Amino acid sequence: MGERRFVLLMLMPAALFLGFLVSYPVALLVYNSFFEVSLIDPSSRVWVGLANYVDALTSKRILESALRTLKYSAFALFFELLFGLGAALLFAAIAKRSQWHRTIFALPLMISPIVAGLLWRFLLVGNIGILNYGLAALGVIPDPGAIKWLSDTDIVIYSVAAADIWLTTSFVALVSYAGLTNIPQDVLEAARIDGTNAVTRFWYVTLPMLRPVLAVVVVVRGIDALKTFDLIWIQTQGGPRQASEVLSMNIYQRMVRYGDLGQASATATLFLVFMIGLAGLAYWKVWRTGND
Amino acid sequence: MTSRGPHDLGKTIINAGALLLVLSYALPYVYLVSTALKPAADVQQIPPSFFPNRVTLENFATVVTTAGLPQAFLNSAVVAVLTTLLSLLIAVPAAYVSALYRRRLTVLFLLFALVTRMVPAVSLGVPLFQIMKTLGLLDTTLGLVLAHTSAAVPLALLLMSAFFESIPKELEEAARMDGCTRFGAFLHIVLPLMPSGLAITALFSFIASWNEFLFALLLTSQNGKTAPIVIAEFNSVYGLAWGPMTAAAVLYSLPVILVTLILQKQIVGGLTFGAVKG
Repeated sequence: MGERRFVLLMLMPAALFLGFLVSYPVALLVYNSFFEVSLIDPSSRVWVGLANYVDALTSKRILESALRTLKYSAFALFFELLFGLGAALLFAAIAKRSQWHRTIFALPLMISPIVAGLLWRFLLVGNIGILNYGLAALGVIPDPGAIKWLSDTDIVIYSVAAADIWLTTSFVALVSYAGLTNIPQDVLEAARIDGTNAVTRFWYVTLPMLRPVLAVVVVVRGIDALKTFDLIWIQTQGGPRQASEVLSMNIYQRMVRYGDLGQASATATLFLVFMIGLAGLAYWKVWRTGND
Repeated sequence: MTSRGPHDLGKTIINAGALLLVLSYALPYVYLVSTALKPAADVQQIPPSFFPNRVTLENFATVVTTAGLPQAFLNSAVVAVLTTLLSLLIAVPAAYVSALYRRRLTVLFLLFALVTRMVPAVSLGVPLFQIMKTLGLLDTTLGLVLAHTSAAVPLALLLMSAFFESIPKELEEAARMDGCTRFGAFLHIVLPLMPSGLAITALFSFIASWNEFLFALLLTSQNGKTAPIVIAEFNSVYGLAWGPMTAAAVLYSLPVILVTLILQKQIVGGLTFGAVKG
C-alpha cells in the first residue's frame, strides 16, 4: 500500500468521527444561531439574520454572566497559582522526602468536579457548614452565621471558586514541582555563591526559568476555568438570583429552561469564537516565548 | 556541620509547613468520608462535628437501595468502558500516523484535535441534543457514548501521538524490510511496545467519561442517567439529604482516588507531559 493511502486510511476513522460529532454539530450550532427556533420543535424555524447576536450582545444578563465568568476564572487562577507554586516550592525545599506529601496532593487530581463542588457546598452551606464553625472557634469571625458564603449575592461567585481552587491546586503544584526539578542545580548554586538571598534567587532565577511551565499552566487552567459548568452548578445552580451564573450556565438555561435554541446557539457561538481566539493567542504567545 | 543548629531549625519549620499544608489540603475530603460514615440523623446536627460519634454504614445502605442509583453507577461504568474502547479504536491509528508519518496533513489534523479541546462543552452540547433527538438516541447509552467519545478522541489522539513519538521510525522500516505491511508493522510490531501508553490513555478516557456531567445532563433523562446526575438530583428530590449524598459522592470518587494512588507517577506524567516539555 502506498504511503499516502496508508496515512489517509489510518486518519479516516478519526476524521469521520470528529467530522460527524464535532464539526457537524458546530456547523449546526452556527446555522441555528441565525434562526428563531425552539428546542421542542426545531423543524419550524424563522430566519432572523443577526437578531440573536444583537440580542446576545445587548442582553444585560448575558453580559453580566460573561463578566462573571472572567471574574471567576481570574480569581480561581490567581489562587491556584499562588497555592500551587507555594506548595511546589515547599516540596522542592524538602526534596526527596516530599514523596508522601506529593502523593496526598495528587489524590484529588482526577476527582470529578461534581464531587469537589458537592464537598465544598457542604463545607460552606448555611447552618451546618463546618468552615464557619471553625472560623468562629478561631475568632476570625464573630459567629458561624457571619458570612453567608453561598447566599450572599456579592461574594457567591468567589465562594464557589473555592472548590475549583481546592480541586486544581494539586495540578498546578505537581506541574510546577516537575518544572522546579528541571531547573539545573548549578545555576541556583552559582547564584548562591554570588551571595544572593533566597528571595532574590526565586525572583531572578527560579521564576524566569519556570516561566514556560507556568505559561502552559495558565493557558490550560484558564481555558478550563472559563468553561466551568458542573462545579458551580452543583453548588448553587447559578443562584441566588443568577449571582453565580457563568456563561456556560446561561447558555444551558436559555436552551433547557427557556427552550430558546436560536438565542442559546448565538451565545454559544460567540463563546466558542472567543475561546478559540483566546487559545490561539495564548498558544502563539507561549510558543513564541518557548522558542525565543 | 558546625552550623547545624539554625539550619535544623529552618528545616523543621519547612517540614512543619509542608505537613500542615498537606494535612489541611486533605481535610475537606476526610470530612466528606467522615460525614458519610455518620448516622443519617447526625449529619445535619448543629453545631457540626468533624468526626462521627458513631460509625455506621447507614448512609451507604440508603444509597445502594435508592431507586436509580445502582443503575446509574452501572450506566456510568458501561458508558465509560465503551467510550474508552471506541476512542482508542478511533484515535490510536490516527495518532500512529501523526507521530510516525509526519506531514502537513497529520500536523493539521493534530492542530484540529487541539482546537476541538477548546470548544466549550455547552457549545457542543446544544447541537448534539438536536442531533441525538433526530437519531432517536436521547437517553440512550449509545448516544452518551458518542458524545463522550467526541471529547475523548482529541485527548487520546494527543496523548497517544506523544507516546508514539518515542518510537524510532527505523523500527517500522525494519519491520517492513522483514515483510510486514505498513498496517502489520503498526499492529504487530509497534503497538505491542506501547502497553503503558495505551493504559494511561485508556485511563484518562475512562475517567473523563466517568466524571463527565454536562453532556449527561443534556442527553439523558430517565434510563440513561449516570451517577453524577443522580447524585446531583439528591438536591431536589430528597430535599437536602446530605447523608446519602456524601455517601454516594464517596462511592463515586473513591475508585478514582485509589487508581490515582496506584498510578500516581504515570498520571502526573500524563497530565504534565506537554507542560514541562514545553
